[in-house]
Amino acid sequence: MLAKFIRFLGSIKLAVPVLGAIASILIWATFYESKVGSLVVQQQIYKSPWFGALMFLLAVNLGVSTLSRYPWRGPRKVGFALAHLGLIVLIAGSAAVIHLGVEGLLLVRTDQPANHLVRVEGELLEVMDDQGQVQQATVMVAPDYVISPKQFAGLTLLDYDENSVETVEYREGGAQDNSAVRLVLSSDRMDRTFDQWLSPAAETVDLGPAQLELRLAANETALQQLLADPTQKQTHQSGNLLIRVGDRETTIAIEDLRRHDAIINDIQVHLLSVWPDFRLDDHNQPITASQDWRNPALEVSVTQADHQERWFVFAQAEPILAGNESLLDLNWEYQVPPPPATDYFRVVVANQQLYYAARSSKSFSSGPLAMDQMVQPGWADFQITLADWLPHAEVVRNRLPAPPGVEGVPALQIVSTNGHQQWLTWGKSALITDGSYSMMAAFGPRMMALPFGIGLDDFIVERNEGSESVAMWTSQIWIEDLQGEATQQRSVWMNHPTWYQGWKIAQASWNPGDLNQSTLQVKREPLWVTALTWSGALLTVLGIGVMFYGPTLLKKRAAVPEKLTEPIASDPAPMPLATQDR
Amino acid sequence: MNQLKFLWGLCLACALMVTPLSQWQPTTQTAVDTLAVQLDGRKKPLDTVARETVATIHGSGQYQLTSGEVLDAPQTYWSLWLNSRDWNDEPFILVNYRPLKTQLGLPLEQKYFSFSTLINSELGGILQKAHTQQLQEQPLTRDEREAFTLEDRLNLMLDTVGSQTLPLVPYPSDIKGAWVGIAEAQQLYPPEIAARIQTEFERLNQQYQENGDDLGRLQDTTAMLQKSLADLSPEIYPDSATLQREVFFNYFHPFGKAWQLYAIAFLTLLTSQLIPTLNLYWSGMGLFLGGILVQIFGFILRMQIAGRPPVTNMYESVVWVGFGIAALAFCFELQTRARSYLLAAAPLAVVCLLLADSLPAVLDPSIEPLVPVLQDNFWLSIHVPTITLSYASFALAMGLGHLALVQYWRQPQGGSTATILSRLNTRVIQVGILLLTAGIILGGIWAHFSWGRFWGWDPKETWALIALLCYLAPVHGRLAGWLGQFGMNVASVLAFNAVLMAWYGVNFVLGTGLHSYGFGTGGSELLIASIVGLDTFFVLATILRHRSRHDASVPVPDVQTVDA
Repeated sequence: MLAKFIRFLGSIKLAVPVLGAIASILIWATFYESKVGSLVVQQQIYKSPWFGALMFLLAVNLGVSTLSRYPWRGPRKVGFALAHLGLIVLIAGSAAVIHLGVEGLLLVRTDQPANHLVRVEGELLEVMDDQGQVQQATVMVAPDYVISPKQFAGLTLLDYDENSVETVEYREGGAQDNSAVRLVLSSDRMDRTFDQWLSPAAETVDLGPAQLELRLAANETALQQLLADPTQKQTHQSGNLLIRVGDRETTIAIEDLRRHDAIINDIQVHLLSVWPDFRLDDHNQPITASQDWRNPALEVSVTQADHQERWFVFAQAEPILAGNESLLDLNWEYQVPPPPATDYFRVVVANQQLYYAARSSKSFSSGPLAMDQMVQPGWADFQITLADWLPHAEVVRNRLPAPPGVEGVPALQIVSTNGHQQWLTWGKSALITDGSYSMMAAFGPRMMALPFGIGLDDFIVERNEGSESVAMWTSQIWIEDLQGEATQQRSVWMNHPTWYQGWKIAQASWNPGDLNQSTLQVKREPLWVTALTWSGALLTVLGIGVMFYGPTLLKKRAAVPEKLTEPIASDPAPMPLATQDR
Repeated sequence: MNQLKFLWGLCLACALMVTPLSQWQPTTQTAVDTLAVQLDGRKKPLDTVARETVATIHGSGQYQLTSGEVLDAPQTYWSLWLNSRDWNDEPFILVNYRPLKTQLGLPLEQKYFSFSTLINSELGGILQKAHTQQLQEQPLTRDEREAFTLEDRLNLMLDTVGSQTLPLVPYPSDIKGAWVGIAEAQQLYPPEIAARIQTEFERLNQQYQENGDDLGRLQDTTAMLQKSLADLSPEIYPDSATLQREVFFNYFHPFGKAWQLYAIAFLTLLTSQLIPTLNLYWSGMGLFLGGILVQIFGFILRMQIAGRPPVTNMYESVVWVGFGIAALAFCFELQTRARSYLLAAAPLAVVCLLLADSLPAVLDPSIEPLVPVLQDNFWLSIHVPTITLSYASFALAMGLGHLALVQYWRQPQGGSTATILSRLNTRVIQVGILLLTAGIILGGIWAHFSWGRFWGWDPKETWALIALLCYLAPVHGRLAGWLGQFGMNVASVLAFNAVLMAWYGVNFVLGTGLHSYGFGTGGSELLIASIVGLDTFFVLATILRHRSRHDASVPVPDVQTVDA
C-alpha cells in the first residue's frame, strides 16, 4: 500500500495534473492581478500557504520520481535526474527568495543627513491596551481592501481606504446642550451655494475675507457684547508686555504701563513710546504708519541702580537693544491680540434662542435668528440662511473616498469587540473607547532600521542627447555606521547596485520634481539562498540539455563516420518511464 | 549536383536582392538623405527622420496627394518641412480607430484627414477630458488613448510643417550637447558664421521651391550645406560612413527583402513537393538561406546603427522571432532533410516580417534610446534573444503541428507523413523547452542584479513560466501514455497561445508589471483574438474528425509502443 502510494507520489500521473493545476492557477492569478494589483495577488496567492503546499507537492513529485529511477545510467537518465533535482533546488531557492529576503525603500536627500530607516512593504498597526501593553502587527492593505490580518488585538480590521477624507456631520440626540447650526451661503452673482456646519468643536470657520462664528452667551451682558457693533467700542488692542528677569516672568498691560512704571525686583521699567504700526521714515526715525495695530512696537527704558538700558520691543520681531551689550538678564515678549476679522457672521446661542451679528466693512446688523431666516451680511450679494439648528447635537464622523482633485489620506476601519466602528487615519494615533475599556491604536508606515546609514551626496540625471528623456539615474551616496563614522563613498545606477555588509543597495526611483531626492532599494538575501537558486538553475538547464541531446551526441561519437545525418526514424524515443507508472 | 542547385538558389536570392525592381530599388545616398539631425536622443540622417515622421503621421511609407501624384517618404517630408504645399488641407493624417471617428463625426470609410478638419472637430473637447483624467491619475479608456495618439500626430505635424527648429546645427564641443535649428545658429556660433549657414540654407530652400519634388537636383546645394555644418564641429558631426550606413539600411530594407525571399523559397519548395520531377528542393533551400543571410545582414546593420543588441522592443522581437523560426527550421532541415521544416517555417517567418513591415503604428520600427533599466548590453543580448528564440521554436512547432493536423484531416487515422511530422514537431518542442528554461533562468539572474530578486511573480515572468508548463504538461502526458502523436500536435498548436500571451498579451492585454518598457499603444487585439479563435475551431474540428474515425477503426496500438 505504502509502496503504491510512494510510486503514485513520484508518478507522471500526479505530475501532469499538478503542472496543469499550477498553470491554471497562474493564468487566473495574472488576470486577477491586473484587476486588484500585485500586492493582493502576492499575499493571497503566491505567498499563501496553499500555493506553497502545491509547489511543495510538485517538489515531492520531482524528488520521488528522480530517486525511484536510481541508478541513473545513460545520458538520458542522468539528464533527467539533473533537471529534476535542479528544479527541486530551484523551487526551494525561489521560495526562500520570496519568504526570507528583506527588502525596502530608503529615501535619501542631498540636503539631509544619512538615513537608516527603510520603508518596508505593508503598514504597521500598534495597539496599546489600558495596562500599557503594546502589540504590533504588519497589516497588508490594498485600495478598498484589507488583505491580512483580519483580526488583531481584539479588533476586526474591516476596510481600508487609500485616499479618504473625514466628513463631520451632526445629528440630534446628544445628552448635553451642544448646539450645532447649519448655514447655507448663496451668491447669485458668483453662482455659488454651499453650506457649512458650526459647532462648539468648530466654532470659527475662515472663509478668507470673512469668517463664520458660533458663540455661546452665558448671560445677558455677554449676549449684548457679542451682538454689539465692534466699530462702536474702543478695544484696547495695545496688548501686554511679558518681561522675564532671570526665572521670573511678569506680564504688564501696556495701558497700565502707560500710566505708571513697573518695578520688577530692583528693575524699573518705563514706557517711552508706543507705535501701533511701526515703520522707519526716510531719516531712519521710528514713526507709526497708521493707528491700526498692524505692527506694534514699544520703546522702553530699564533702570537698575545707576545702570540704564533702552530697548525697542516688537510684536512681530526680536527685541533690539539700543546701545551695546546688555548687562541685565532680561527677556522681552510683546503680545498683541490679533485684530478682529473685519467681516464676520456670528451666531450666538443664549437661553435656547439664536441671535446673529453680521458685519461687513460697510454695514453691521444684529438681531434674533429664526429657522430659514435669510440675512444679507453685506458681503457682495451673499445671503446666509439658517438651515438647521440642533440644540443637542451629536458629532458623526465619517470617512469617504476623496473626491477627484482632493488629496486625502489612507485610513483603516476597525471594529472593536462590542461592535464600535472607527477609522484610524494613517500616520496618527487614536483613542478607541468601547464601553468601559479603552485602548490607543496607531496605524502608520512599517519601517526597518538598517545597521548603517546612507546619505545622498548628489543625484545625477543623465538625459539622452538633445532630449528630455532620461538616459540614466545615478545616486552618489555615502555609507556610514550609526555613530556617523567610517564613511564610504559609492555610486549606484540602474543595473549597477552596490553591496555593503551583505546588503544590496540599488537605484529604485526618483522624483522628477525634486532632484535633491532619490529612492534606493535596500535588500538583503542570505548568501545560501542566492547559491541555491543559481545552482538549481544551472542544474536544470544542464539536465534538460543532457536529457534531450546527450544520447544523440553519444551516438554520434560512437557512430561510424559515413553516417553523417541521423535518419528521422531514429528520433530518440521518450524515456520509457510510463511502464513504472502503470 | 545538389550543391550546384543550392548555389544556384543562393545566387538567385542575391540577384533578387540587388535587382532594381520597383520598390526594391536602392537609390544613391546623397547629402539630401544624409544631412545629420539630432532628434529624440540620437543623431540620425534626415532620411530616417523623414521616414519616421511620415510613418508616424500617415502610417505608411508614401503619400498620394489629392492631385493623384504619389510622393515617397523623403519627398513628403521635404514638402512638409519646407512647407511647399497647403498641408492644412491635405488629407494626410491617419485616423484608423472607428469609434473615435464616430465621436468626431468623421466619415467612417475615410482613413486620412486634413489638419484643418481635425482641428475643427470635437477632438479638442475629448482631449481636454482625457488630459483631466490623466492628471487625476484615472485609468484611460481605449478611446482616450487613441485620442492621445492622434494628438501626437497633430503635434508632430505642427512641429514639422515649415519647421525652423529642426536641429541641424551641431553643438560646438559637447558630444551630448543639444543641437539647434538653422534659424537659431547664432545661439552656438558667431553671427557671421550663423549668417553664412542661414544663407546657404535659404539658397537650398529657394532651389527646392523652384524644382519641386525632384530631390536629386538639390544634391550639390545640400552637400555644400552639409559640409558647412560638419566644418562647424568636425568632432561632433557624425562621419559620413555612419550616416550613409543608416541611409543604406533604410533604402535596402533587409527585413522587407527577407520575407520576399522566404515567400519565393516557400513557393519553390511547395512546387518541389507537388511536382517532385522538377527537383527544386535544393534551389528552394538556397533561396531560403538567402533570406536568412539578408536578415542577418539587416541585424548587423541595425546593431551597428543602434549600438546595442538586436532585441529591445516589440518590433525587434517580432523580426527576431521571424528570423529564429527561419534559422532553426533551416538547421533542422539540413540535419534531417525532412522536407517539411521549411514548409512550416516559411509562412510563419513571412507573417512575422510582414506584420513588422506593415504596422508601423503598432510595431514601431524607429531606433530610440533605451530606457535606463535596459541599459545593460550583456544581459540584454543574452536573456531577450534566448527567450524570443524559444518563442520562435514554439512557433515552428505550431507550424509543424498545423501541417500534421492537415495530414490528420486528410487521413484521420494518421499516415507516414503525419508520423514523420509529429516526430519533427517533438524535436522542435524540445529545443523550445531548453531555450525557454534557459531564458527564464537568465532573466532571473538579470532580475537578481537589476531588481534584487531571482523570482518575483511579475506577470511577464509568470507567463513565461505558464508557457513552459503548457509544453511540459503535454510532454509528460505523452510519457504517461495519455497523449499520442496526434495529441502532441494538438498541444503544440494550442500551447502556442500561451506563448502569444507571454510575448504579446502581457504587454497589451494585461498591461501591468515591471516589464512595462516593452509596452506599446496596443491594438489589433480583436484581429489576433479572431485568428486564434478560428485556429482553435480548426483544431477542435480535427480532433472530432480524428476521434470519430479513430473510434470507428480498429484500436490503435499504444502510443508508447509506437515511440519505443
